[in-house]
Amino acid sequence: MDEMTGENININEQLKEASTNALRCMQCGVCSSSCPSGRHTSLNIRKLVKIAGRSSDILKSDELWMCTTCYNCQERCPRGIDIVDTILKIRSISAYHNIILPEHRAVCQMLLKYGHAVPINDDYKIKRTEMGLEELPETVHKYTDSLNEVKELLTSCGFERFTEDNTDENKTMENTA
Amino acid sequence: MAQSEINDDTKNTDEPRIGVFICECGVNIGGVIDCHAVADYAGTLPDVIRSSVNKYTCSDSGQSEIKQAIKDNNLNRVLVAACTPKTHEPIFRACVEEAGLNPYLFEFVNIREHCSWIHMQEKEAATEKACELVRMGVSRASKLEPLQSNEVPVTNTALVIGAGVAGMQSALDIADMGYKVYLVEKNPSIGGKMAQLDKTFPTNDCSICILGPKMVEVARNKNIELMTYSEVEEVDGYVGNFKVKVRHKARYVDVNTCTGCGLCVEKCPVEVPNTEFNEGIGTRKAIYVPFPQAVPLRAVIDKSVCIDCGACSRACSSNSIIMEQEDTFSELDIGVIVVTAGFDVYDPEPTHDFGYGLYDNVITGMELERLINASGPTMGKVVRPSDVKPPKKVGFIQCVGSRDKKRNRYCSSFCCMYALKDAQLIREKYPDSEVYIMYMDMRTPFRNYEEFYDRARDMGIRFIRGKPGKVTENEDNGLKVRVEDTLTNDIIDLDLDLLVLSVGAVSSESTERIRQILKVSRAADGFLMEAHPKLKPVDTTLDGIFIGGVSQGPKDIPYSVSQGSACAARATRYLAQGKAITEGITVEVNPDICVACGICVPMCPFQALSIEDGKLNIIKALCKGCGTCAVACPTGALQQNHFRNDQLLAQVKNVFTFEE
Repeated sequence: MDEMTGENININEQLKEASTNALRCMQCGVCSSSCPSGRHTSLNIRKLVKIAGRSSDILKSDELWMCTTCYNCQERCPRGIDIVDTILKIRSISAYHNIILPEHRAVCQMLLKYGHAVPINDDYKIKRTEMGLEELPETVHKYTDSLNEVKELLTSCGFERFTEDNTDENKTMENTA
Repeated sequence: MAQSEINDDTKNTDEPRIGVFICECGVNIGGVIDCHAVADYAGTLPDVIRSSVNKYTCSDSGQSEIKQAIKDNNLNRVLVAACTPKTHEPIFRACVEEAGLNPYLFEFVNIREHCSWIHMQEKEAATEKACELVRMGVSRASKLEPLQSNEVPVTNTALVIGAGVAGMQSALDIADMGYKVYLVEKNPSIGGKMAQLDKTFPTNDCSICILGPKMVEVARNKNIELMTYSEVEEVDGYVGNFKVKVRHKARYVDVNTCTGCGLCVEKCPVEVPNTEFNEGIGTRKAIYVPFPQAVPLRAVIDKSVCIDCGACSRACSSNSIIMEQEDTFSELDIGVIVVTAGFDVYDPEPTHDFGYGLYDNVITGMELERLINASGPTMGKVVRPSDVKPPKKVGFIQCVGSRDKKRNRYCSSFCCMYALKDAQLIREKYPDSEVYIMYMDMRTPFRNYEEFYDRARDMGIRFIRGKPGKVTENEDNGLKVRVEDTLTNDIIDLDLDLLVLSVGAVSSESTERIRQILKVSRAADGFLMEAHPKLKPVDTTLDGIFIGGVSQGPKDIPYSVSQGSACAARATRYLAQGKAITEGITVEVNPDICVACGICVPMCPFQALSIEDGKLNIIKALCKGCGTCAVACPTGALQQNHFRNDQLLAQVKNVFTFEE
């Protein structure tokens, strides 16, 4: 836990550095009214820009992951803030500290298991055989040797940690969700 | 050119006897630098007779001390280490001059901007640096020589370029002070942008009703020679002695006999969009009178669309149509110049801001002014361009083209107020209408402006704090505007019949043209640059040239009028005195070394140099002592007084001291 305290200070500094150009924001709302995701989700990109860099609370917000990175807001921002780039930087910080959504973990597990973020499902396997094709297409999934190489590559990068949820933040997040 | 020798004291060139005065500037310098240590150090330098510290050297007591010290110690050079020469050098030069020294025997060292302010956290190092700066200054001071300022006579006429409300005010003020004014306007009528407006904030009185009498006053004033439909082509010379060439564009109408009756206009078969006065709404003929209150009320023919049918000529009862008329030119001798060349309204068309240019019912604030104006193309009826029906729901978007890094960073300052005004006018004319103003910040400073904002709220105008992200057109040519009310976090889809873009101001092409002719500086925002943002707001860095109105930056009518008057006051100082003192720091040529190669001639930004009869000729009154030519001179024949090589090298040599 001592390490985590150190990490937290680190997080705040990293967030501050990633979002310095968001300080220019004058809260005009061009971003939020341009946001296609915000029409259908709880994302209010203007509020994210407002809290970016202020505290690590932003890492706990589900909205951080709702941006589709369409760049509408960044293109239109009258203050020239790199809104989407900042969101991406904050996401990287979040991932670095292993604060990601359960859905992300599921995808990471898939990648480790099959070498694909979205592996082929049973429906497609059946369809393929009905059409006279092999059950699996020509990808790493089919070749155990290659798949093992992918796994080795991912494990050597420490990718496995994304599959395990061992952070307080995520526990809190899941509890509130 | 008369030369007056301000001071000729031979003792100035004797062995240098330097007095050093270190200013604490309260805590500005004293809080960081150990001024007494600097003064003690200065006392050890060669040629320094005395050194001391003042709390404020520029104060009366500080200046008295300098004068006393000059007398007591028979000083012939004075060095003050304090703040910036930009604001304080003239004060100290005058001070030493009062004590009998030539003002150019004064040396200024800046230990505030160049030292204490930038080294606030390193006090010891700052003190050391201050000592070094003073040491360098002392080295230069000992090499200084007396210089003479020149006095030039001033022609007592003024030229005002641009006859909008600022230029008219300036011309009237100068004329009322008894001087001849040439007022040049590129359009066929004076009045400028204000003539196009319907009402004016914060009183909602009719714009042309208050401007009209002023226009007539300008035309009637005996001291004002009005030159409409004319443009300044060339300007030569210097303060007090400008030679100006003005082109009078052919109107193809005799202004002396035309009565502005409009019979010719009725008969003219050619109709084109009225872009000059009605923002392209409605049409005008090929021959037209600019607007009913135009001054002068005379017709003008637009030759680019005229078909030479002769209908106007046959209709004219005073035989005023002259198809073969040509441009004419005037050469004027001018003492001072005031530039009030105005602005352009930001054009959202090229970038289709908020659907402008794509959707019929998106218009600019200026277009709305013409629609709502009783003498406009719709006789004051506000209608949608698509179906010419009155809109029920009208929205304004603020800051279009302004406060945006991708367009113009600055605030155009008057758009909040004009949107409030137009919103009120719409509510008054059409009480059933709904009016929305979408804003980021409402800016309503100055007298009665906040009360005007209050009134808008009382009238039921709805305010949404947010800048829209999207505008689309409905089937009925209505508009759907998506905007977040950032105060409630609600994303709203607002259905409107008419959308008005509150566009701001940009520097005009004509201002830029005049700027290039006069060589006046321009700021990064494109507007003309004043000599000092606070203390010389209407002066330029060129003597005898003044700037006012929106050509200097966005401003509203009261501010423009004030600047017009300010320009008049600043400019007439020269006319009242009948003379101007020009810079004593000028460039000097050594004719023995000069090979008349001419490299320096195009370098001079002020056209002070020319090669005549195989010799370099310098017009001292034009030289501003910038030194550009001296740097370019390949033989070293050009030396800039007060910054001669030996003076600067003495300073440079003493940057470092070497302990033996």
